[in-house]
Amino acid sequence: MRKRTLNRGLAGFWWLTLAFLYLPLAVVVLFSFNSVNSAAHFADVSLRWYHQLLGNAQILSAFRNSLILAIVSSVIALVIGCLIGYGMYRHRHRRLGWLIVLIYLPIVLPDIVFGISEMAFFVQINRATGLLEPGLGTMIIAHVTFQIPFVALIVYSRFVGLDPTLFEAAKDLYASPFKRALHFLIPTLKPALISAFFLSFTLSIDDFVISFFTAGPESATLPIYIWGAIKKGVTPEINAIASLMIGAVLLAALVSLLFNRPRRR
Amino acid sequence: MVESSLTASRRRAVVGETRHLLFSVTPGAAWITVFLVLPSLYLMAVAFMTNGPYGLPEMPLSLDAFRQLAGFGFLGWSPGNAYTLLRSLWQTFVSTALVVIVAYPLAYYITTCREKWRPLMLLAVVVPSWTNQVIRTFGWMNLLAPGTPLSDLAESLGLIGPHMGLYPSDFAVTLGLVYNFLPFMVLPLYAAFEKLDVAQVQAAQDLYASPVRAFWHAVFPQTLPGLLAGTVLVAIPAFGMYVIPELLGGGKSMMLGNLVARQFSGGSNWPLGAAGAILMLLATFVGLYAMRRIGRRLGGGEEVVI
Repeated sequence: MRKRTLNRGLAGFWWLTLAFLYLPLAVVVLFSFNSVNSAAHFADVSLRWYHQLLGNAQILSAFRNSLILAIVSSVIALVIGCLIGYGMYRHRHRRLGWLIVLIYLPIVLPDIVFGISEMAFFVQINRATGLLEPGLGTMIIAHVTFQIPFVALIVYSRFVGLDPTLFEAAKDLYASPFKRALHFLIPTLKPALISAFFLSFTLSIDDFVISFFTAGPESATLPIYIWGAIKKGVTPEINAIASLMIGAVLLAALVSLLFNRPRRR
Repeated sequence: MVESSLTASRRRAVVGETRHLLFSVTPGAAWITVFLVLPSLYLMAVAFMTNGPYGLPEMPLSLDAFRQLAGFGFLGWSPGNAYTLLRSLWQTFVSTALVVIVAYPLAYYITTCREKWRPLMLLAVVVPSWTNQVIRTFGWMNLLAPGTPLSDLAESLGLIGPHMGLYPSDFAVTLGLVYNFLPFMVLPLYAAFEKLDVAQVQAAQDLYASPVRAFWHAVFPQTLPGLLAGTVLVAIPAFGMYVIPELLGGGKSMMLGNLVARQFSGGSNWPLGAAGAILMLLATFVGLYAMRRIGRRLGGGEEVVI
């Protein structure tokens, strides 16, 4: 009897927490359809702000920057991270403590320290040599830096999950390392590579702090644009663009649910 | 003869393996070294330089930045920076504690539900954290601004003055932190609850332990590794948080992250900012180290991430 009340209480708590988690997102989406520019008063349903989005050159360019940054950095991180993940696996019996520390560094470093140290470093290099002008280039460098560890760890754990004798078999089957990579490594890694790419992509799209400090005047991404608009207090279209981004995340969640359906045992 | 050719081939294999190691690991290791290790070392060096006229670090080495961080300026000691530091610690502590209080029953509840619902429930908890942090925080700004239902409610209960709104305030920052970090606590706690050894609980009940004692002696110790992992994942990033206090705190509720960031933009004093960053790094590493030590002593050291 008491157990049932406990469970009912917990169920209530669960739904309350869920409301807490989704309330801020729901408010953003709701007010994106508001016909007046107010966060406190909902007047009428309209698509006004969505229409304005399409005419806002700054938002469109921020969107383009976000995409370029995410795609280019993810591709570079995928190549470099894969190599490191494979190296870590194949040489796991050696003393690679320094490598592990190096790989965990971008993960444990607080965002703000990460962003500021890169920004300070890039600024000084730029003053001395003219290289590394703040812009998409420096942002790509920064993003690749925090993506590499995730790719490396995903690839490494995929290798660890494989039967070690497979490597011997592949060695016997395919003479050249190139063929071995083409016919054995890349096909077996494919799921890991796909999830590593999507994780990198998401991390890049999602990042604000590190982008903010390494960005140049022309390379604002969507989160940076939104930040600037909020700070200036000019927010009419922000609800609309934010709603579109929330929609994209919900879509991604749906897709991941469909792909990772629990298998029947 | 045979033996020497054998050692030669073995040596060739070792050289080949080493070359393989260098080929695979060098690009990534070099990338992180050049673009993160060197910049952080540079930042640490900056903390020991003097602030120049344009906010850029200049030569004579000094401990000025640390003195300023402790509150000593041209006009003697002022408590501003000390308040910021204490507020960062306090906010980290309060929000982590609140996150534990909310996440613990939640994680337990998920494990009591039917197995086929659990992945969906976990996804439901995690999905909001996939949206951009700036957008989530903007959502709370909209919810807590003066004139919104929540603010009106707080006003009619006499919690805040008229037309104040719940944001900007310390309260809004705490709320934003709890909101932001809740999933990071639920996931490791759920993992701990899922592999809970029920036999221990039953043994406690068979021995007529009261529910409280049974929980305290049979359940809680088993979830401790998850709790520790969650605490690392919440407390360390919370201490260095920038976005949430900047948007929800509105200047009055600065945390260390904002103090640091400000020295690199408007208020330009790189050495002071770098000194703050060193403090943050120290907190991070001390936190990680402490959790690892505690985790080891509990015997669940492997569970604790990193």
